[in-house]
Amino acid sequence: MPAITEQKCPCCGGGVQFDSGIQKLKCPYCDTEFEINQSGNDAATEADSISWSNADNQWSADETDGMSVYVCNSCSGEIVADSTTGAAKCPYCDNPVVMKGKFSGALRPDLVIPFKLDKNTAKEALKKHISTKKFVPKAFLSGNRLEEIKGVYVPHWLFTCDAVGNANYKAKKIKKWSDANYDYTETSYFDIYRSGSISFDNIPVDGSTKMPDDLMESVEPFDLSQAVDFNTAYLAGYLADKYDVTAEESMPRANERIRQSIIDSFKETVKGYDDVENHGASMNVANGLYKYALYPVWILNTKWNGENFTFAMNGQTGKFVGNIPTDKKAVTKASLLLGAGIGALIYGLLWLIELL
Amino acid sequence: MTKRFVAILIAVIMSLTLMISASAYTYQYISDSAGKLTYDEIDELEAYAEDIESSYGICVMLCITEDTDGMSDIGYAEKIYAENTDNENGIILLHNDSDNTYAVFTSGNADEVIDSEAVNEMRTAYDSNNSYYGGISDYYKAAESLLANGEAVSDNQETVTTENDTSDEKDGVGIIWIPVSLGIGLLIGFLIINSIASKNKSVHMQKNATVYTRPGSMIITGSADNFLYKNVERKEKPKQENKK
Repeated sequence: MPAITEQKCPCCGGGVQFDSGIQKLKCPYCDTEFEINQSGNDAATEADSISWSNADNQWSADETDGMSVYVCNSCSGEIVADSTTGAAKCPYCDNPVVMKGKFSGALRPDLVIPFKLDKNTAKEALKKHISTKKFVPKAFLSGNRLEEIKGVYVPHWLFTCDAVGNANYKAKKIKKWSDANYDYTETSYFDIYRSGSISFDNIPVDGSTKMPDDLMESVEPFDLSQAVDFNTAYLAGYLADKYDVTAEESMPRANERIRQSIIDSFKETVKGYDDVENHGASMNVANGLYKYALYPVWILNTKWNGENFTFAMNGQTGKFVGNIPTDKKAVTKASLLLGAGIGALIYGLLWLIELL
Repeated sequence: MTKRFVAILIAVIMSLTLMISASAYTYQYISDSAGKLTYDEIDELEAYAEDIESSYGICVMLCITEDTDGMSDIGYAEKIYAENTDNENGIILLHNDSDNTYAVFTSGNADEVIDSEAVNEMRTAYDSNNSYYGGISDYYKAAESLLANGEAVSDNQETVTTENDTSDEKDGVGIIWIPVSLGIGLLIGFLIINSIASKNKSVHMQKNATVYTRPGSMIITGSADNFLYKNVERKEKPKQENKK
């Protein structure tokens, strides 16, 4: 059975959590705060010898495929989790646990960006996000849904490279003039070529199939200068997944973004035209490196009229995204009211024109 | 002897010049660059065309040419029309004598009075006569006849319209416009509200990775801006209606 790690308080032995506000570990029982041991030789962890026990499960091989079973060090409760789950909470004693094997050896992340913003900030961000939108169903604003927010360390692959490329564009210059009888439009066509190089640092690609890629890219960017060397202590109190999309599988997406960046960046050097349109590009990537990092994201999953809605907040910068359900009845009602008002206005104007 | 010869030569050249200029002279209604008509014939036809325009307000022109300056027949007809009259309501029949093709250009509301069937009738009238003068005369006769009929129909329509207008005023002009206004309003309202509602979606894939570009790392090593070709489009300006 896989091992789990629990961060223990050296004073009272209670399970400790990472406090994003003070950027330290904190015991919720005795309020003791202590630094994270970057060497990984955490005294609190070492104090408890991890006991292994074989869960007497009787599931078939098919049932357990893709799942892992852990035993909580605090209450000995059995934790059944997805095989990619790297950190969670014990469903029996609520103690934060880290599945150690998910982040060791080759699976150990290079970097982690610790949560800077807490759950309350995420709640406020959601309220603000929703309050700025129109036609949101009233029930969606209820407090119960806000409790479903959870902090997740999402695995990302970070790609660094030097890209050399070239791009072709078709451009137009438009000149207009008139004489007494005619309007003239002269359109001049140009073939534009640019070649050069651009370097990229740490382009992130979502390494988890559980997280929608568009949602993860929507909360970008993260400030990697605040990233620290990975330590399981940062995961305490949050959920975490190990990657299930490999770096090789993530490369096409990184390449796609690099290619588009070359097209867009080179296009900015094409000046003096009224219209510029890309007509092909090619690139070579050199000095490519990739890292494995965990990014902090607050996630809210909810359902509305049978449809799933997932919101995400960047746990570092606070950027909040998510498609908000639209109250179709309210939209219809507003369309009718506004339409009737505009119709009345048009009719009134017609009368005025008729009178004049 | 030499002086006499020079005088005769000058007289011949002047005569030829006058003949060429007379044959290529362009009047307002008749453009005869092919030189198929005499002065007298042109004067007579011009007078006829002027009567038609003053009576019906439609400028009826005709152009016989052997060269359209590289333009299409219809394009050349439009050009001749625009150069010779300010009347925005009119028609011109172009006969390209070099390849015996025809083009008809109508301007303004002329096509309301002279429809395609009428145009065919006029062209047939022109074409069926063996002489150019006779053909053009027949063309103008047909035009006058059609315009006279069209005016009669128009007068009847005006009478009917006036009666209808009176009945509309009794019912209220805006009644017809209520559903129209409402329909337009609903369409606009629907577009505005849906535009606002669409902003509820904020999840999308990133287009590029320019935010991850290393500052100052972009180096342009090759650059070329090559001119390919140019195209000039010309659109006639809408002419303002004469205020009476």
